Amino acid sequence: MSVLVGGVLLGAGVLLFVLEPVFSGKSAPMYDGDDVFDEGAARRRVALTALRDLEYDRATGKLDEDDYGQLRTELSREALEHLGEEGEGGGRGPDRASRELEEEIAALRRAIREGMQCGVCEHLNRLGARFCSRCGEGLGGGE
Amino acid sequence: MTILGEIALWIALPVALWGTVVSFAGGRIGRGDLVLSGERTVHVVTLLLVLVSAGIIAAFLGDRYEYYYVVNYSNRELDTFFKVAGLWAGQRGSLVFWTLLLSVFSSIAVFLNRRRNREFMPYVSGTLLGILSFLLIVLLFAEVNPFERLGFTRFNGLGLNPQLQNYWMTIHPPTLYLGFTAFAVPFAFAVAALLTGRLDSRWIAVTRRWILLSWFFLTLGIIFGMRWAYEELGWGGYWFWDPVENASLLPWLTATAFLHSIQIQENRGMLKVWNMVLVVLTFLLTIFATFLTRSGLIESVHSFAENLTIAYIFLGFMGGMAILAAILIIHRLPSLRPENQIQSFLSRESAFLFNNLLFIGVTFAVIWGTLFPLITEGFFGETRNVGPPYFNRVNIPLGLMLLALMGIGPVIAWRRASKRNLRKNFTLPVAMGAATLAVLLATGVRHGMALATFALSAFVMTIVVTEFWKGTKARARIAGEGIVSAFRGLVKRNRRRWGGYIVHAGVALVFTGLAGAAFDARVEQEMVPGEAMTVRSALGSEYRLVYESLSHTRPRVAEDVQENDWRWTALLTAYRDGERIGVLRPEKRFYPVMEQTSTEVGISSSALEDLYVIPKDLETGTDRATFEVKVLPLVPWIWYGGLIVAIGTLVGLWPPRGVPVPSAARERERAVRKPVPAGAAG
Repeated sequence: MSVLVGGVLLGAGVLLFVLEPVFSGKSAPMYDGDDVFDEGAARRRVALTALRDLEYDRATGKLDEDDYGQLRTELSREALEHLGEEGEGGGRGPDRASRELEEEIAALRRAIREGMQCGVCEHLNRLGARFCSRCGEGLGGGE
Repeated sequence: MTILGEIALWIALPVALWGTVVSFAGGRIGRGDLVLSGERTVHVVTLLLVLVSAGIIAAFLGDRYEYYYVVNYSNRELDTFFKVAGLWAGQRGSLVFWTLLLSVFSSIAVFLNRRRNREFMPYVSGTLLGILSFLLIVLLFAEVNPFERLGFTRFNGLGLNPQLQNYWMTIHPPTLYLGFTAFAVPFAFAVAALLTGRLDSRWIAVTRRWILLSWFFLTLGIIFGMRWAYEELGWGGYWFWDPVENASLLPWLTATAFLHSIQIQENRGMLKVWNMVLVVLTFLLTIFATFLTRSGLIESVHSFAENLTIAYIFLGFMGGMAILAAILIIHRLPSLRPENQIQSFLSRESAFLFNNLLFIGVTFAVIWGTLFPLITEGFFGETRNVGPPYFNRVNIPLGLMLLALMGIGPVIAWRRASKRNLRKNFTLPVAMGAATLAVLLATGVRHGMALATFALSAFVMTIVVTEFWKGTKARARIAGEGIVSAFRGLVKRNRRRWGGYIVHAGVALVFTGLAGAAFDARVEQEMVPGEAMTVRSALGSEYRLVYESLSHTRPRVAEDVQENDWRWTALLTAYRDGERIGVLRPEKRFYPVMEQTSTEVGISSSALEDLYVIPKDLETGTDRATFEVKVLPLVPWIWYGGLIVAIGTLVGLWPPRGVPVPSAARERERAVRKPVPAGAAG
């Protein structure tokens, strides 16, 4: 008997919980708010991540200047293209992740430009070094 | 409790069917109340399945031998530990357990997306509830009801298969099932993407972690299974190309291919159709694995008594799903066109493409070999097994190519690799591989496949180590950090990439361990206590085993019934190169209730190799015993490699910084709330 009561109570509870929205008109959100996924933003993040890795690859000597230059041009163009898409779509600026990536890339390029890479032997030096640790050439000039 | 579980099972089916219908309908006609009702259904079904599972466990713990399932998988003598594990010991219980895990993952997916990806969610809940409904129908109507009664109560059960009375049994199947069921979530999102027509990389971005989670559990589950076979079956091996093992490998193979090919879609907008095909194929293979393991389809070849109903039902379900998915994909073909073309043969894209082709090649080779007995039975009336030689001959070369790609993929450039790029990145790794080969040849190793494996593993390891080293060094220089913080910063910045490299290193280690099988040493000898035997390992060590004694015990005696098992334990002292390394206790166990014998091997593990003792014949009267002793080089590396793979996957899975937490998303949603279109009822 108690089993029957338990079963009926369980069934009634389940029914009430599941059907309640239909009777009360309570609704689940059908569209995302501001959190909408943007294909352009996603592709832009991908391009920017690739650009950032490109800087590292160059710094580690995995890429030489020619390959670096070519890929950098292609990837920058892609990142810009998708920024365009994004602008047309929602009229919003780049998302936070993209902004962070851009800042990181800028910092990387700045670090390299600001004399970490030796102009003579292309050796990468510690930030703030005054002379190249490989060939002794003075650092600190521009590219 | 058990009756309540049975009631819960009957309630779950209509509720799940309702949820399936209202979810799809709500999504289609844009009614939020129906969608909410559907989402609540997901949680309710989970709760009901918890009750069902609790009911089954209660029946096991309460020794309720009026239930068919309990009688067949338990007895009064069984440890409480294994009684709880009775939930997944047999076909009926494991179907319930599978369904439970699927519903738990469905609930988590619905909860995590209560404010995100809303366009997808009606179809995601609908798809997941549809699968749950199917499983509930099977449970209730396909003669596999776990609550089926005998009509009378037996005094005792028939007991659990001795091979399952091992602690790996409590870990291995649940881990594998977690992997199988977690993959239903990416599948549901893929279906939602096809139905809504949102075919950009969004569904991949939102399910990437689910895919990794599933892969993590699949990998662990397979490795646990290998460990189980190694310790419990007593054949001196960890993999036998057994149908059940193959079944767990198949979805792992396609899931691995999928993990790689989604990167091409994300990076280059290519392979969109292929990714859809892979996600559907992997999902179907998880279903295939479940029913192959539990239906007795393949085993039926050896015994006529099996009931094949469930196999046909599952085959029908798989066929239906495959057809529906194919229709959807074909319908959406115009939106799934690639945005780019492969620019060069020498590029990361083409490396990924080869990787995919190889994985699919291995998958079909394994499917063919697994189903071969069925095919020959169907066409020629006689059953033929292809056996391990077929699998090894086909899969080892493909596996070696994959091993090579594991090194090439991470360093070859996207788009097109120049000769300079190749020279710069591959000179050192190729040299290391060649050096390994030369050293091994010089030391007299002549086994071709093993040589190739060792050389390629060295190649991959060099690449992974140099990548980490170069990356850390560059970061230390550029950011002016110390080596340790630079390393952490490096990994944190791109967890997927570096986690993936760690996985590659682990897999290379596993391959090396597998290749060790080419150098197994084996000696079989009959001895009486006091005698000794020696085995020389391929790595040069000499093992000496002294047979000390044989003892016979009948532990775990219950008051009113006979013992669960009788044990004959041999005691052997092991020496390596004259040095005592420990005592081994290989054992034979006899389970009187089931009248079965099991073998417990004795293993002494070192960093490089395992000493593995299988008791063959143990004679109580004379204490005469025959032992098969093996020295298995590099087997421990398989387990180390598995551990590294797990760590790497966790690195990739770890949530990155800056992922919008639900509360932040909520605030933003409040700030800009888009109006919900009026429903059809309005």
